[in-house]
Amino acid sequence: MDNSEKNKRSYSVRMRTFAVIGILMSMACLMTFGAGFTLVEKAAMAPSEIPVKDSVASVEAFKEVYSVLMSPRCMNCHPSGNIPLQGEDSHLHAMLPKRGLDGKGVYSMKCTNCHQPVNTPGLNTPPGNPDWHLPPADMKMVFQGRSAYELAKQLLDPKQNGNKNLKKLIEHADDGLVKAGWNPGEGRKLPPLTHAQFKKAWITWLTTGAYAPKDK
Amino acid sequence: MITLNINKKTHRVDADPNTPLLWVLRDIIGLVGTKYGCGVAQCGACVVHLDGEAVRSCVTKISRAQGKKVVTIEGLSETNSHPLQKAWLDLDVSQCGYCQAGQIMSAAVLLRENKNPSEQDIDDAMAGNICRCGTYLRIREAIQLAAKDQKNG
Amino acid sequence: MEKNNTDYSRRAFLRASALAGGGLMIHFSSLASLVLPKNGEAVVSEQWSELNGYIKITPDNLIKLICPNPEFGQNVMTSLPMIVAEELDVDWKQVVVEMGPHDNVKLGSQFTGGSNSMRMYWRPLREAGATARQMLMQAAAQSWEVVLEDLTTKAGIIYHEKSGKKGSYGEFASKAAGIAVPKGVKFKAVKDFSVVRSSRKNVEGAKIISGKPLFGLDYTHPGMQIAMIQHPPAFGMKLKSFDASQALKMPGIKDVFSMKLYEDGFEQGGFDVRSFNELLVVVGKTTWEVMNARKKLVVEWMPAGDTKNTVGGRGGKREVVVPGELEDTDAQHTKMREYAAKPAQQLRKDGDPETAFKNAAQIIERTYTAPFLAHNCMEPMNFFAHVTAEKALLVGPLQAPGWTEPTLMKVLNLPADKIEIQMTRMGGGFGRRAYGHYLVEAALISRKVKAPVKLIYTREDDTTYGIYRPMYTATYRAALDADKKLIGFHLKGGGIPEHAVHANRFPAGAIDNYLAEGWQIASNITVGAFRAPGSNFAAAAEQSFLDELAEAMGKDPIDFRLELLKRAKDKPVGRNNDYNADRYAAVLQLVKEKSDWNGADHGKYSRGVAAYFCHSSYAAHVVDMVIRDGQPYVERVFSAVDCGIVINPDAAANMVQGAVVDGIGNSLYGGLTHKAGVVEESNFHKYRIIRMHEAPKKIEVTFVQNEIDPTGLGEPPFPPVFGAVASALYKATGKRFYQQPFLLTRPGLPSA
Repeated sequence: MDNSEKNKRSYSVRMRTFAVIGILMSMACLMTFGAGFTLVEKAAMAPSEIPVKDSVASVEAFKEVYSVLMSPRCMNCHPSGNIPLQGEDSHLHAMLPKRGLDGKGVYSMKCTNCHQPVNTPGLNTPPGNPDWHLPPADMKMVFQGRSAYELAKQLLDPKQNGNKNLKKLIEHADDGLVKAGWNPGEGRKLPPLTHAQFKKAWITWLTTGAYAPKDK
Repeated sequence: MITLNINKKTHRVDADPNTPLLWVLRDIIGLVGTKYGCGVAQCGACVVHLDGEAVRSCVTKISRAQGKKVVTIEGLSETNSHPLQKAWLDLDVSQCGYCQAGQIMSAAVLLRENKNPSEQDIDDAMAGNICRCGTYLRIREAIQLAAKDQKNG
Repeated sequence: MEKNNTDYSRRAFLRASALAGGGLMIHFSSLASLVLPKNGEAVVSEQWSELNGYIKITPDNLIKLICPNPEFGQNVMTSLPMIVAEELDVDWKQVVVEMGPHDNVKLGSQFTGGSNSMRMYWRPLREAGATARQMLMQAAAQSWEVVLEDLTTKAGIIYHEKSGKKGSYGEFASKAAGIAVPKGVKFKAVKDFSVVRSSRKNVEGAKIISGKPLFGLDYTHPGMQIAMIQHPPAFGMKLKSFDASQALKMPGIKDVFSMKLYEDGFEQGGFDVRSFNELLVVVGKTTWEVMNARKKLVVEWMPAGDTKNTVGGRGGKREVVVPGELEDTDAQHTKMREYAAKPAQQLRKDGDPETAFKNAAQIIERTYTAPFLAHNCMEPMNFFAHVTAEKALLVGPLQAPGWTEPTLMKVLNLPADKIEIQMTRMGGGFGRRAYGHYLVEAALISRKVKAPVKLIYTREDDTTYGIYRPMYTATYRAALDADKKLIGFHLKGGGIPEHAVHANRFPAGAIDNYLAEGWQIASNITVGAFRAPGSNFAAAAEQSFLDELAEAMGKDPIDFRLELLKRAKDKPVGRNNDYNADRYAAVLQLVKEKSDWNGADHGKYSRGVAAYFCHSSYAAHVVDMVIRDGQPYVERVFSAVDCGIVINPDAAANMVQGAVVDGIGNSLYGGLTHKAGVVEESNFHKYRIIRMHEAPKKIEVTFVQNEIDPTGLGEPPFPPVFGAVASALYKATGKRFYQQPFLLTRPGLPSA
């Protein structure tokens, strides 16, 4: 309880600060948004990780992040509905597999019934990963249809991001399933950035204040 | 050599660990009830149970099946007594019959996890199995009949 | 006893295979176990007395009925023997059914396709049953020294009421087998039928649901190798050179070679169609090993250029040029539009259509198109062959052994009696397996590698090198006078490489001024039979057009058709109208009644209706569509069918339901396109097949009850589905759909 109270307070303080910056940045047509790092979290960070706020760099970094997240390799498993997407045109997955409560499919249509621990060789075969799944039903982490602003906000919201703090968010760049996007199986396009570029942009975004572009 | 447990029997198989379970079942062990339809997990003709899950054996390497229990249509029951098999016969579901083993193996997982499936549940569970003859309505009906049978004993 | 069935069948299968020395497929009905010796071995073949090609009986009164026609899901293995059982007068439970070998002398023409089985076999099988019964009675009359007229039969037992004597068919079977086949034997009256017209379960149902080896792909043989063919990547290409050194190093690989299917100048019959003549073959131990080795082939392909086929059969021997073009679907559409504007061949003309159109107050003109369709049989093409210098054994899925045998004789240089063809159960056929090139390929490969071989097509092979349903277009024009009366009708259809104009079909015969024309464009894309190939397009286009016409004329679509049919009946126009207007109208009236066409809950659905006659049977459907999750969904369907006497009603209903589902799927999603000769839909990820959630919740099938000799059911219920779906789509969306598949649009073409 104490912590959450504290969070709220520190959050509102920062919001005010950002609001000032926001005004300053208004000529660049940007709206800012800050990640709510608690003091405890800050204490846990190594000195080099302590955010140096830089809204321009942060927004630029998020643009790159967003281009990756909205590419089929990432978005296809972050659909707005309960059915994953498929292909470069992100159409509804053939045979309409359902998310299920745990994100792992339902009945005889569980993800891993087709998606193996590794990519199946050949064209048009199921890509693989040991942990293949969608976000669970209580934390859908939708990418499809989200604006950059909305997605940034959602990624940072502990209620929507699986309770991830900055450290965990940073670590998530190296998650096995995230990295699977760069090993998509034969015939599939890679995301627009390399994983290293993506990771750099992701960390830059998070550690420079986690600003997001204003919605057009 | 890879050791596989198939329909409660142990088989030692001399095959590349990357070989799909489908082809080991069909070409090496001689269990041909599991069918080849597409080879890319699109049609469901090759569904078998791997530790109870309806895996597509055309993309499931035998290395993944090692140490797990595989059940094929031949092992679903000894005397065609599974409620689904009985319902399939009662409603004379099959036309060409090629896809039906896969259909039954998929439906078996549904019935195990949901004793009273709705039409929506059936659609959700069975959309991965293609029947080119179009016996879907009878498959749906047979699953519901089997569910009733299962409930009544 | 039922309990032992599984084990028994399996052992019987193995034993029967051993007895035949080559793997004779024997199929027992589920009650076969009743007559089993304790050890479960198959009954020794010597005990069978053969009364004719279709009937064998043991002294124990086990009745074996031979099915002449190969089974691909239309249930002939049950329904054809039912006809024999009826006239033979046996209890269906006594019967075991066996798939016959290829033997045109004993078993007739043995062709599954064209909705022919019932039409072709109704009379021969009644005769087979009735004459065998008579022979058994004659044998009993001789043994008992009584007159034949005093004998009766019931359920496989012969009775002599006066003396109280009775005996089973089995007791007299061996004697009866020696009696000359009687002539002029009377058939049962339809009202006395006890097997036919009552629902009997699929004789192979239990084997299907327990995974028994029934299909060609399941067939195995000692020493059998697996073969696959690497085809050119596109229609219009051919093999230039290949390097197999890497492939040959792969585990399990025995041989890689190229060979010709037909030698130059080989005279092709109508069913010798094949996509490519030069085969690049990989042979090895297991399917997976051969699949992998194929990927290691280094192949150079080259444009084939224009080539020549020597074609025989109807029309005599002639050279046909196959264009070498690498075809594109968009270019095909453009070309079809060009041809549609040119003069075409007149196929039928009644009255003075030119004047009718000149004087018309209103002309309605609509153009319809449909893509190539692939069959997508769930069991891909495959065949087993074991060919030596002396003889050939071929086992697998095949619709028409009698059409491939002459080809095998020529290609293998063997006489017919040295070629044994066994037909396995087929995982779908839809016309595809009437083209036996794949067993000729298997035979040549076996001869070359001097070993038993099973040739397997992968799904991709099957889809991309098919014998497709052609690509079609048709323009329909109607002339209305100032009172909105239909005074002229013009159909001009074309296709690649053939058109789908059936000039003598409805509404020909119902309109005074009528013109039908056709044109075609040559192509290297191979085409052939496909569940009523031309009819399913014609029904889609014509029935859609009639729907639109009815609307323009302010008439109910069913009433409008009934008016035309009344005209065709009362005062038919022209000759050779190929339909019976009464039976046509009857299915429409029946579906109108069953669907409660004018009923109150009508408003919940977007309704479409269509009726069609083809392959000798009549079918009508009312399709009820809703928009679900933003997508059109056919929720229920009412079907009315007249195929004469319905042999096996529940199985017949199953087939109609299947045809409806197939029709919905193909009309909404089916289609094969080409880019530079390459088929763009190589597998089910792109070639969309209707799935469970897209199938209606209810399909209510009603058969017209009559005593007309039965006709087929494989095709007739399929074509009108397309038209009914198109009209329902119009009601659901407010848009007319002219281009199949209705729900997949192609950029650059009007979708509606």
